[in-house]
Amino acid sequence: MNQDAQLLTMEVRGVTLRRDPAREPCFRVVHLYSELRRSVDFSYESQLEKLHREYNTETQGMEIAAQSLVDFPSAPWELRMELARQCWDESRHARLYYRRLVAKGGHKGEFPVANHEWCVACVFDSVVGRLAVQNRTFEGGTMDSMRKAVGLWREIGDPETADMIDQILADEVQHVRYANQWIRYLGRKNPSVLLKVAAAISELKRISAALRPRPGEFSINGVDLVGVPQPSVRANTEDREHADFSAEEISEVVRQQRLEELSCGKNALAP
Amino acid sequence: MGLNVKQRGQYVSTFRWIQVRLMETLASWVPTTPEMEAKLLFGAHVWDIAQNADALGKRTHELRLPLQHSMMPASAYVDGLLELSVIDGASQRIAGFYDAWLPGLATRYRRYLGETDLLMDAPTARIIDRMLETEARMIREANELREQLPALRLSEPDLALRLANREAAVGHVVDCTRTGVAREAA
Repeated sequence: MNQDAQLLTMEVRGVTLRRDPAREPCFRVVHLYSELRRSVDFSYESQLEKLHREYNTETQGMEIAAQSLVDFPSAPWELRMELARQCWDESRHARLYYRRLVAKGGHKGEFPVANHEWCVACVFDSVVGRLAVQNRTFEGGTMDSMRKAVGLWREIGDPETADMIDQILADEVQHVRYANQWIRYLGRKNPSVLLKVAAAISELKRISAALRPRPGEFSINGVDLVGVPQPSVRANTEDREHADFSAEEISEVVRQQRLEELSCGKNALAP
Repeated sequence: MGLNVKQRGQYVSTFRWIQVRLMETLASWVPTTPEMEAKLLFGAHVWDIAQNADALGKRTHELRLPLQHSMMPASAYVDGLLELSVIDGASQRIAGFYDAWLPGLATRYRRYLGETDLLMDAPTARIIDRMLETEARMIREANELREQLPALRLSEPDLALRLANREAAVGHVVDCTRTGVAREAA
């Protein structure tokens, strides 16, 4: 790795990550799940933590799209337009989560934050690698969890937050869709692009494994991170179709999730 | 005498180059600005500026240039943009961009509108009118943010003034040395 790259990156548990984006001093920025609060219910504090976490996550989405505009000036203009649009979308989303956080009595910096998405996505040095990891994988997965979150917030009697998340989800579909379409298009033009995508996903798996909680690790609010039942999240097949995943890709996600549920005995009601 | 087709194309493609550079400047500030409200302001405006660049890039094709064609401005202007892009600090960035650079650019657009034939070149004029509206809104939003968060106000106004003077000192934004384009109206 050259010196410039070293300045931009850091080592966490043996894997190379991009250094964190800038945050105000009121935030405590951490890198491990054991340094975060883990919300396993919908208590008042958990509600605030979820809104606070999503506020930071949407901010990262904006930062990743913006950094891609900076890092890939030779990308096709139409793709750069999609990235620019995403910056605006994620900026609005962050403001929406923050507004809701404040309305419920929360504040900026109330909980530790991790910038996992930024730190992982921005180590990839190709635009397709970044789209595959951030838009297709992270945001694709978010479509599944957000669909579930809409129902859960409604169940606890907070339709305002539920409606907000539903609108944000609709916006996120477009971010996943354009990534799918561009990866396919660029892959048809140059098949080596698909090798970069595969390499990025392989590296993502390695990083995720390294960062995953280990037995005996607890969150700062005392949750056993390995022992606690993992919430079951069903594939949001409807939005995945809107996002231009193929029928085979959707079937594969559903199959993987079922396998995971069977092997972990997951609790379908956990948030 | 007004501008001809070639000269209009040179202006439009130069304005496009500037918009793309401004978009990249804001984008580079998004992850490097700690203050969340300023960061979110820059992120939202990345899209506004990208749309300006896109509209200009479609117009270049109508002026016998490639689609989304850009032409680098005069070197003094490029140097000024570089100075803007390396500013550090949220309040300095906001002041440099919204108090100095955008107003200077608006003056250039108005000069262009004063020089071109507004009927013959109506498609460009419409684009520039919309850009002026967009950029006025961006400045308004930056001002509103500073009203809400006085910490984002610049304590020493010298920086904005210096940058504004630097922008204004560049007489001709189109690189006359490479193109032989008509001089900008004073």
